[in-house]
Amino acid sequence: MSTLLHSKQVIYGDLTQQAYTIDAFLGAGTQGEVYRAHASGQEVAIKWYFPHYIQNDVQLRQRLENAIRKGSPDNNFLWPLELVILPNSTGFGYVMPLRPANFKSIVDLMRRRAEPSFRALISACLQLSESFLQLHAKGLCYRDINFNNVFFDPNTGDILICDNDNVDVNGATGAINGTPRFMAPELVRGDAPPNTESDLFSLSILLFYMLMLHHPLEGKKEAAIRCFDQSAMNKLYGTEPLFIFNPQDDSNAPVAGLHDNALVYWALYPQFLRDVFTRAFTSGINDQHGRIRENEWRVLLINLRDSLFYCGCGAQNFYDGDNIKTCWACNKPLVAPPRLRINNALVMLNYDTLLYPHHIDQTQKFNFSLPQATVSRHPQDPSRWGLQNISDSAWTITLADNSVKMVDPQRSVNLAAGISINFGNTSAEICV
Amino acid sequence: MTDIIKRPGGAMANRPLHFFWLADCSGSMYGEKIEQLNYAIRNAIKPMQDVAADNPNAQVMVRAIKFSTGAQWHIAQATPVEDFKWDNLTANGVTDMGLALQLAAEQLDVTQMPERCLPPVLVLVSDGQPTDDFNDGLNTLMNKPWGRKSVRIGIGIGQDADLEVLQKFIGNPEIRPLQANNAEDLVKYIRWASTVVLQAASAPASQVKDQVSGGVVPIPQAPPASDIDADDVW
Repeated sequence: MSTLLHSKQVIYGDLTQQAYTIDAFLGAGTQGEVYRAHASGQEVAIKWYFPHYIQNDVQLRQRLENAIRKGSPDNNFLWPLELVILPNSTGFGYVMPLRPANFKSIVDLMRRRAEPSFRALISACLQLSESFLQLHAKGLCYRDINFNNVFFDPNTGDILICDNDNVDVNGATGAINGTPRFMAPELVRGDAPPNTESDLFSLSILLFYMLMLHHPLEGKKEAAIRCFDQSAMNKLYGTEPLFIFNPQDDSNAPVAGLHDNALVYWALYPQFLRDVFTRAFTSGINDQHGRIRENEWRVLLINLRDSLFYCGCGAQNFYDGDNIKTCWACNKPLVAPPRLRINNALVMLNYDTLLYPHHIDQTQKFNFSLPQATVSRHPQDPSRWGLQNISDSAWTITLADNSVKMVDPQRSVNLAAGISINFGNTSAEICV
Repeated sequence: MTDIIKRPGGAMANRPLHFFWLADCSGSMYGEKIEQLNYAIRNAIKPMQDVAADNPNAQVMVRAIKFSTGAQWHIAQATPVEDFKWDNLTANGVTDMGLALQLAAEQLDVTQMPERCLPPVLVLVSDGQPTDDFNDGLNTLMNKPWGRKSVRIGIGIGQDADLEVLQKFIGNPEIRPLQANNAEDLVKYIRWASTVVLQAASAPASQVKDQVSGGVVPIPQAPPASDIDADDVW
C-alpha cells in the first residue's frame, strides 16, 4: 500500500530537532495519515498531512503552532506537542500522545462492540463535558465534534479527544465546518460559521448518541425518506430539524421497529435528563442562546450517575422517584437502596457508592480522586450498612430523636431513616 | 456480575448501502491490465471492510458486473462487505458497457431495492470505448430513481480510456473521471473509490472547503496521480 511516510523513515521535530522514527501506519482520514512512531524510547503518534490538504488549509500551520504554544486544555486531549518536518520537503505534520489500546471509539459503542456499564458511560459523558468546558473556557472552538474524534475506556469511562488540529480561537475562519449529523442547523444551512455555540449543539448530539444509541432528529421524517442523500440530510439536520420527542409536535416521533433504541432508552432515564435533552433540541435547536452549556451537563450527569442503583440481578437502573418500578433487564420489581438527599439532589447509597468533595461541600470543585465517604458494612454484623467517614474532618449527625453525635474520621453512621448529617458546609439526610 | 447485560437495546439503526463494481473485461484489458485491476480490487478489500466497520450508519453490500462481449454478473448476490471476496477476472471480447449499465439498472429498480437505503455507489472501470449503445444503457440506468440517486465514479485505465464517456456516466461536472496511467495510480484510485467514496455516500466526513458539493453526496477530492514511473507505464 502506498502511504505518505514509510516504516523506519525519520522525521524531525520543528522545535526540539528530535528525530522520530516511523514504526507503522495506523490510519487515514480526509486530511492526512496517522502513524505510530518512537523517539528516545517513547512511543508517540504522528499525523502527516496530504499535500493537497496543506494547499487548501492555508491557516493550518499557524493554527497548529498556536495550539502547541497554548498547550492542552486538560489531560483528556491528544494535543499537538510539536510540528514535524522532513528536510527538503514542504510536507509537515505534528506529534501527539499515542492512544492506548484500551480506548475504544464511539463507533464501537454504536455498533455494540464496546459495552460500558451505565456508570462508565455516564462517566465518559461527564469527562467529555468537562474537557470541552476547559477548551471553550480558553476561548477556543473545537469545530468538529463527532464519532471519530472521541475515544473512551469502556471499563472506567476515561476519555481521549483527538483531531485537535482544527481547534482555533472562537470566531476565527477555518477550513472545517463540522461533520454531517453533528453540525448545528445554522451550519448545515450555511447561515453561520462554526463557533462555541455550534460546538455545544454538537456536544448535545454526541451525548444523546452515547446515552440513547440514536440520533435525536431521526424519527418519522427519516423513516419517510427512501434515499438518504445530501438533500435528505440538509432537510433533516438543517432546514426542518425537529426533535423526535418534541412534546408539542409528534410529527417526527420515533417509529417502532426502526428507532427502537430511542424508545427503549428514553423511557429508562430519569425525567430530569429527558427535560434537558428536550430543551437542547427544542429551544436550543434554532436559538444559539438556548444551547445546553457544559457546566449544566456536568451537574446533570453527576446527578444521573448518582441516581444509579442495582437490581438484584445485577443490572444498573435509574432512580426516578416512583416512576421506574421494574428492572429493564429482569422485569422484576425494583427495590431502591437507602438514599442521601443533599439539597435537591439524591445520591443512591449502593454497596460501592463513594461521596466526593463536591457532595459534602458544594463550594468544592469536582474531584473524583479524593473520596470523602464510602458505604460500609458493620464489621460484626454484615446486615448493618453504614456510611463511613473517610475524610479528615468529623461529621455531626442528628438522629430522629434530635440527639446529636459526632462521627470521627474512619467511623461510620448507620443508614437509618431520618438521620441527618452535617458535613461542615453541607447537610444531608438519609432516606430509606 | 460479569455476565449480566450491561445496557438494553441493539446496535445503532443503519441503512443498506449497495456498492457495484462495473469492470471492463474486453480483449484490450488482456494481460497486465486485467491482472493489475484484479490486484487493485483485492488490495482494496481490507481497507473497504475497515471503513465499513468504522461506519455505524451503513450496512455495505457489494456486487460486481463484468462486461466484454455482453455483460454478466461477476458477484450477483448482494454480499455483506465483511464476506466480500474477489475472484480474478479474465479479459476477452468487445466493450459492451451499455449492457453493463442495463444490468445494474435492473437491480436498481424500486422493486428490487429495499425501501430505505443510502445512495448506491457505482464504480465503472474501463480502458476503452464502448462498442454497444452506451447512451441507451445510461438512459435505462438514469430512468430508475435509485440510478439517478446513485453516486457514480469512473476510472479510466491508460491513455485509450474514453474519459468523455466516463464523464457522461458520472453525470456531475464537479467529479472528473480518474485516469490511471500506471499500476500504482490504479491501486490508489480503486482504494479511494472503495473507501473515501463509500464513506462519503453514507456518513460524510468532516466538511472541508475543497470538497465537491453539487452531487448526491459531497465527495472529497481524489488523490493526485503519482509521478509517472517509466517502468510502470502501460
